[in-house]
Amino acid sequence: MKKTFTVNLGGTVFHIDEDAYQLLDKYLTNLRVHFKKEEGSDEILDDFEMRISELFNEKIRLGYGVITIAHVEEVIKRMGKPEDLFGEEFDKETSQPEGKQSAVYPEEEKVHKRLFRNPDDRILGGVLGGIAAYMGWDATLVRLGVALLCFLSFPWGGIGGSLVVVYLVLWLIVPVAYTATEKLQMRGESVTIENIGKTVTHSFEKVSSNVNDYISSGRPRSTIQKIGDTLVDILGAFLKVILVLIGICLFPGLILVTFVLVVVLFALIFGGGFKLLDHLIPMVEWDTLSMFPETSLFLGSICALLLVGIPLVAGIYAICSYAFKFKPVSSGVKVALLILWIAAFIVNVILAYRLGVPIWETGIPGFGNYGSWSVRI
Amino acid sequence: MNAENVKSQMRKGTLEYCILLLLKKEPAYTSDIIQKLQEAKLIVVEGTLYPLLTRLKNSGFLSYQWIESSQGPPRKYYQLTEMGVAFLGELETSWQELNNTINHIRNI
Repeated sequence: MKKTFTVNLGGTVFHIDEDAYQLLDKYLTNLRVHFKKEEGSDEILDDFEMRISELFNEKIRLGYGVITIAHVEEVIKRMGKPEDLFGEEFDKETSQPEGKQSAVYPEEEKVHKRLFRNPDDRILGGVLGGIAAYMGWDATLVRLGVALLCFLSFPWGGIGGSLVVVYLVLWLIVPVAYTATEKLQMRGESVTIENIGKTVTHSFEKVSSNVNDYISSGRPRSTIQKIGDTLVDILGAFLKVILVLIGICLFPGLILVTFVLVVVLFALIFGGGFKLLDHLIPMVEWDTLSMFPETSLFLGSICALLLVGIPLVAGIYAICSYAFKFKPVSSGVKVALLILWIAAFIVNVILAYRLGVPIWETGIPGFGNYGSWSVRI
Repeated sequence: MNAENVKSQMRKGTLEYCILLLLKKEPAYTSDIIQKLQEAKLIVVEGTLYPLLTRLKNSGFLSYQWIESSQGPPRKYYQLTEMGVAFLGELETSWQELNNTINHIRNI
């Protein structure tokens, strides 16, 4: 007994087995990803769907009530496996822009290794799976290592906690490897026709072997595993929600701080702006700031601005890109921003220590109560 | 150097020309074009044709209409445009030239 789906393909309704549906969906997704850049890609995809629909119709006329995986395999063979179709395209792509280079070094094409989250090998977000694929290590060992590090460093606190934070940050900024090309880049294998074909057919095999498991064992995953899957899904969603909530709570504060920092910066550049600050936020005696060396103040406020501004802008951009379907920022920019942010954080900590210590020792009036403020600048 | 690859590249180079030639006589459904090309052993898999037809259409050499069919939903019915006819003329000339070149080299 098999579950079936009802699909609308090129305007005709078909009943299709679950495994056959998965295979067909994968095939069409790969085509869609491949033709994405091409003008009229929707039309090409429609043509494919129309034709597949025609071929299925013939099967239905022959008396088959349901489209099975064998039918889909036959259709894919007829339409062309991705490696047959993409072979031609890849020749074109590589010969056009880098014709000169590949003529000289045909074998040594540079492989751009990129860090992705691995959707095929994940417990939570696939971060460690991605790192393992990137470094060529065993994913289980990486997970074990990180878990051990978390527990062993427990007496000292910090490390375990920061590992969790680093994990969450990576989860948020590192993209998932969706396409065959990205999965190859994740492992640092060169994006060639053969490799693409391997990845795609490999996932096909994976589908069909899953199907075989399904048929032979009857239960693809045990109840405990299913409960585990669900728990992990819930936990993952929960963590994301919490992160979003924290973001929303911090949002007004971040905007205010950014505003103040901009004013401080202006004050430092054009001089005498502390009066404006006095006016706006009278609780702090801003004049005392002028007793610090101007360069430190300047550096401090720029770094603080980065420290607050980068997450703020990133958050706003993320919301906008979600709402208005902007293009997501490339991961290179993300990494650069993260490095900048960490650098700003370190500079601020050093400055705060150097400026803050004398304040605590001498207890400057007006700053005694607002010691924490000096830490921010 | 891959012998199969060279051969298939040669065939692929003539694909656009052959499509236009097929459509010169009469407009045709996509499936007819595929069938004729397969009979001529020019293409093996059908998927190669759809992007090609769309590209030719976007370049203004082909146009299509949706024509009702007796079996199933309406299908695309491709025909040459004026630009397409002109382009076919150019391709005929260059095919002739290529033919002459090869013959010339053969007979040296």
